Amino acid sequence: MIKLQNIEKSYRHGLSQTFVLRRVSAEIKSGDFVSIMGPSGAGKSTLLHILGMHDSAWTGEYWLYEDPIHQLSAKDRMRLQKQHIGFVFQSYHLLDNLTVYENIDLPLSYRDVKKAEREGMVADILDRFNIVGKKDLFPNQLSGGQQQLVAIARAVVAKPTLILADEPTGNLHSDQGKEIMELFRRLNEGGTTIVQVTHSKENASYSKRVINLKDGWIVDEI
Amino acid sequence: MLIQDIRYALRSFRRAPGFTAVALVTLALGIGGTTAIFSIVDGVLLRPLPYSDPGRILRINRVGANGGLDSFSAADYRDLKKDATSFAAISGYRSDIIDMTGRSEPVRIIGMQTTAAFFDVFDAAPLLGRTYHEATDTPGASIAVISEAIWRQQFGANAAVIGTQVRLNGAPTEIIGVVPEFLRHPQKSDVWMLSPFDVPTSPFGVDGNDSRDIHYFSVVARVAHDRQLTEGQQQLRSIGDQIARDHQRNAGSTFNGEPLASSMVADVRTAMLVLLGAVAFVLLIACANVAGLLIARGAARRRELAVRTALGAGRGRLVQQLLTESVVLALVGGALGMLVATWTQQLLISFAPENLPRLADVTLDWRIASFAFAATIVVGMLFGLTPALQSSRPELNADLKEGGRGGTSRTGLRNIMVVAQVALALVLLIGAGLMLTSFSRLRSVDPGFRVTDLVTVELMLPLARFDDTAQRTFYMGVLERLRANPVTANSAMLFPFPFGGGNAQASLSVVGQPAKPPEQRASADLYSVSPGYLQTAGVRLLKGRDFTDHDGPKSTPVVLISESAVKEFGGRDPIGEKIDMGDAFTVIGIVSDARRRSLDTPARAAVYLPYTQFVLPYMGAVVRTDRGAAAVASAVKTAVTQIDRDLPIGDVKTMEQIIEESTGEPRFRSFLIASFAALALLLAAVGVYGLISFTVTQRVPEIGVRLALGASPRQVFRQVIGQGLRLAIIGIIAGLAATAAATTLVRGLLFNTSATDPVVYISLSLLLLAIAALACYVPARRAMRVDPMTALRSE
Repeated sequence: MIKLQNIEKSYRHGLSQTFVLRRVSAEIKSGDFVSIMGPSGAGKSTLLHILGMHDSAWTGEYWLYEDPIHQLSAKDRMRLQKQHIGFVFQSYHLLDNLTVYENIDLPLSYRDVKKAEREGMVADILDRFNIVGKKDLFPNQLSGGQQQLVAIARAVVAKPTLILADEPTGNLHSDQGKEIMELFRRLNEGGTTIVQVTHSKENASYSKRVINLKDGWIVDEI
Repeated sequence: MLIQDIRYALRSFRRAPGFTAVALVTLALGIGGTTAIFSIVDGVLLRPLPYSDPGRILRINRVGANGGLDSFSAADYRDLKKDATSFAAISGYRSDIIDMTGRSEPVRIIGMQTTAAFFDVFDAAPLLGRTYHEATDTPGASIAVISEAIWRQQFGANAAVIGTQVRLNGAPTEIIGVVPEFLRHPQKSDVWMLSPFDVPTSPFGVDGNDSRDIHYFSVVARVAHDRQLTEGQQQLRSIGDQIARDHQRNAGSTFNGEPLASSMVADVRTAMLVLLGAVAFVLLIACANVAGLLIARGAARRRELAVRTALGAGRGRLVQQLLTESVVLALVGGALGMLVATWTQQLLISFAPENLPRLADVTLDWRIASFAFAATIVVGMLFGLTPALQSSRPELNADLKEGGRGGTSRTGLRNIMVVAQVALALVLLIGAGLMLTSFSRLRSVDPGFRVTDLVTVELMLPLARFDDTAQRTFYMGVLERLRANPVTANSAMLFPFPFGGGNAQASLSVVGQPAKPPEQRASADLYSVSPGYLQTAGVRLLKGRDFTDHDGPKSTPVVLISESAVKEFGGRDPIGEKIDMGDAFTVIGIVSDARRRSLDTPARAAVYLPYTQFVLPYMGAVVRTDRGAAAVASAVKTAVTQIDRDLPIGDVKTMEQIIEESTGEPRFRSFLIASFAALALLLAAVGVYGLISFTVTQRVPEIGVRLALGASPRQVFRQVIGQGLRLAIIGIIAGLAATAAATTLVRGLLFNTSATDPVVYISLSLLLLAIAALACYVPARRAMRVDPMTALRSE
C-alpha cells in the first residue's frame, strides 16, 4: 500500500542544514497497524504529515498504491488524500463553531458528496460510534474522550483505507485512551490500515508493527 | 455548499461579538456615508431630468464679447426663434416674484413669466387641466399654470381650481392647469404665467420692445427629435455669429447651447466629485480596517484552517468560505449602512444650502440601493480577498501544533493596512484643514459695508399697478415713514441687495474718452439707492458728496462711483465728469468698494444712481438697528400697509443671514469634509489600536520572557508605543506624498489658501501622530502589566 524510499526532510539555516528525516525507507501493507515511536524531535509527526500529504517539501520516493506521490502535482495529491486518507490529531482539532454533526459532515462536504448521501453517511457513523444523542452539541460541551471519538468518527466517515493518527490518546486519561485504542483495533480488523504516532508502549501494543525513529533515522522495526 | 458557508459565517460572527460589532459599525459608517453622499451626487449630477428625452433640452446662453454669460434681449430672441430650424420648441422665461391676490390673503410666490412654448420644452403631463402650448395658446391670453404644492396649500387640492380667476401681480388671470411637483426646472416655480407678448414681460417696464440693449430673460429649447444635439448647438453658434455681424451692439457675442442638466450644476460639479472622492477614502479606510480585523482573525483561526485543509479542503474552497464570510459581513454592514445612509442623507439635506441645484431631486431609491449593494459586494471582496488568500495557505504542521498561537510573522499585512489607513486619513485631514482654513478666511473677508445690525426687507411692486411715478412715490413714502419710526430711523432704499443674486449691470463709458472695442468695454455693477444709504450701510464716501433729496427726477442726472471705477477716467478726477448710460450722468462722489456677488468675488466697478432718477420695482429697505429683524418687519409692514393694504412685504433677513446663505455651499462642503476627516481619524485610530492590541496579545509570552530577563515595564511600554508610532510615521510620510497629488483637485475650491499650506500640513500630521500615540497607549499599558509568571506558564 505504502512504499517509502529514502525520504529526507531538512531545513536550511543560512549555510547549515538541519535534517529532520534521513533516508527513511519503509513499507506498509494494506490492513497493517503500524506505530511510529521515538523520542521528541525524532521526526515522528513530520513523517506522519508526509504520509498524509500535508507536507510536500521533502525528497525521496513515496508510493501510495500505484501512485508515485513524489511525482504528483499538489492537485493530484489532494485528490488521493481525499480518496484514501483520514487524519486523527492529538488535540482532536474539532472546529469550535460547528456541531458534532457538522464536524463529521465536513470531510464529506469537501469531497463534494451529495447532501442526501452525506446525511445517510453521517447518520450511520453517529450510530456506529454511539453518539447520535450528541450530534447537536458543540465540541466545548463534550469531554476530551468524547471529542476524540467525534474526531475519529470524522476521520473515518469518508471511508478512508488509511487512518493516520498523531498521538490520538495524548490528551486523554488512561480509560478513555484504552477505549480509543480499542476503536482503532476494531477499525483495523474491519480492513482499515492504521498508522499512529505514539509515545505509549501500551498503545503501541495494539499495533502489529512498530517503527522506531531517532534523530530522523529509522533505528529499528519490530 | 454556499448556504452552508453562509450559515457557518453567521454563526461564527455571533460567537465573536466584539469583532463583529466593530466590523459592522465600521462597514455601516463607510457604506452608509458613501451611499448618502452618492445619493446627493446622483440627484444633483447624474440623474436625468424627469422629462421625455431630457438630453435634448438645452439652456441657450448668450456669450458676450468678454466671454461672460448674459441674458437675452427681445430682439436677439426673435432673431433666434426665426432661424433656429433644428429645434422643436424654444421658450423665453424670466423668474419673478408674483403676488397672488383676489382671494382671501394676498400671497407672494416665486413664479415665472414664460412664452407659449415653455411646456413644449418641458413636456410634463399636467395633474389637472392643461398646460399652455405654442400651437394652441397665443400670447395675450391671461392664463397661468400652478404647481401641485400651491394647489394643495392655497386651493385645498380642489379640482375645481381649473377655470378659477385670480389676480397675479394685479392682472386678472385664469388658472388652466396644475403640474406635478417634479416640474421644477430650470428653477423652482409655483406659478407659470403666459406672457402677453412673444417675449417675457420686462422687469424694466419696456414690454413689447425690440431692443438689443436690454437683456433680461433666459432661454431654453428642445432639439427636434430628427436632429442631432450637436446640429442644434452648431446652429445656435451660427445664428449668434450672424447676429453679431449684423448688429454692432452684439459685436463679439454669440450663442451656445448647453444641456440643461449639466448647466444647472456646473458650479458645484467639482465640489460634488471631491466630496464623493473624500467619502470613497472613508470607505477605503473602513475596508482597510476590516481587512486588518480579518487578518487578525485569520491568524487566530490558523488552527481551524489547518484542520480544514487536513480534512480535505482545497485552497480554493477555503478562499470561497472566507470570502463568503467577508461578503456576508459586508451585506449585513451594507444593510445597516442603508439605515445610516437614510439618516445621513436627511442630515445632509437639512444642512445643505438651499441654493444647491437639484437638491429636490435627491432621493433614496432603487438606483441608490443598487449602488449600496454593488458597493457592499465590492467592499466585501476588497477587504476579504487579501486576508482570505493569506489565511488559506496554512503551514499545516506548525499551525496544528501551535493551535493558533504565535502568528507575529503574519502582522506584515496588517502593518500595511494600518499604514494605508493613516495615509488615507491624513489626506482627508489635510483636505479638511485646507477647506476649513479657506472657509474661515472667506468668512473674515470685509465685504465693504458693516454687516452687523443691518436688516433687509424686500419690497417688490407689481408692475401692473405701479408705473415709474407710482413706484417712486411708494418707496419714498415707505422710507419717510420708516425714518419717522425710532426703531427704523436709520433706513435707506436699495436695489439690489448684496449677495442676493440681483444682477443689474451697465457698460461704463466715460463721456469724452475714445470708444473702446466691445471686448475691452468695462461694465459696472449698477445700484439704485436712496439718499442716506451710504451712512446706513457703512459704505464710506471717499470724495465728493452723497445724494440728497434735491437729486430728484427732474434735476441733473447724477451718480456715485466706486473706487474701482476711477481707473476708467484715464487719470482725471472723476468728480464732475460724465458717464454715458443711455443718458449722461454726472459723477458727484466716489465711494469705497463693496462686494456684491459673493465674499470670494472681488468688488467690481460700481455705479450708484439715486432711486428718484432710476427706480425699479424690486427695491428693498435696509435698516440699521439693534432691535432685531422682527421689530423691523413689523415697522415695515405697518409703513407699507399705510400706503397700500394689498401689498405683502417680502423676505426679511439680517445681512448676517444673507452672507450665511451666500457662503452655504463652501460651508456645507467644509462641514462634510471635516466630518469625513473626523470619521477617518476615528477609524485610523481604531485600526492602530487594533493592530497594537493584537500584537501585544500575540506577544504576551515574549513580553513575559523579556520581563523575566530583567526588562523594565517602561522599556516594554516604549517598545510597544514605538511599534505603533513607526507605522504611523510611515503612514504620515505616504499620506503627505498622496496629499500633494490629491490637493490639486481641491485647489479650485480654496479661497486665499495655498493647497500646500505648510501650517495645515504640519499641524495635522502632528495631530494624527498624537492620536496614533493615544491609540497605542492602552495596549502599551497592558503590555507593561504582563505578569511574567502567568505569561510563561501559559507558554
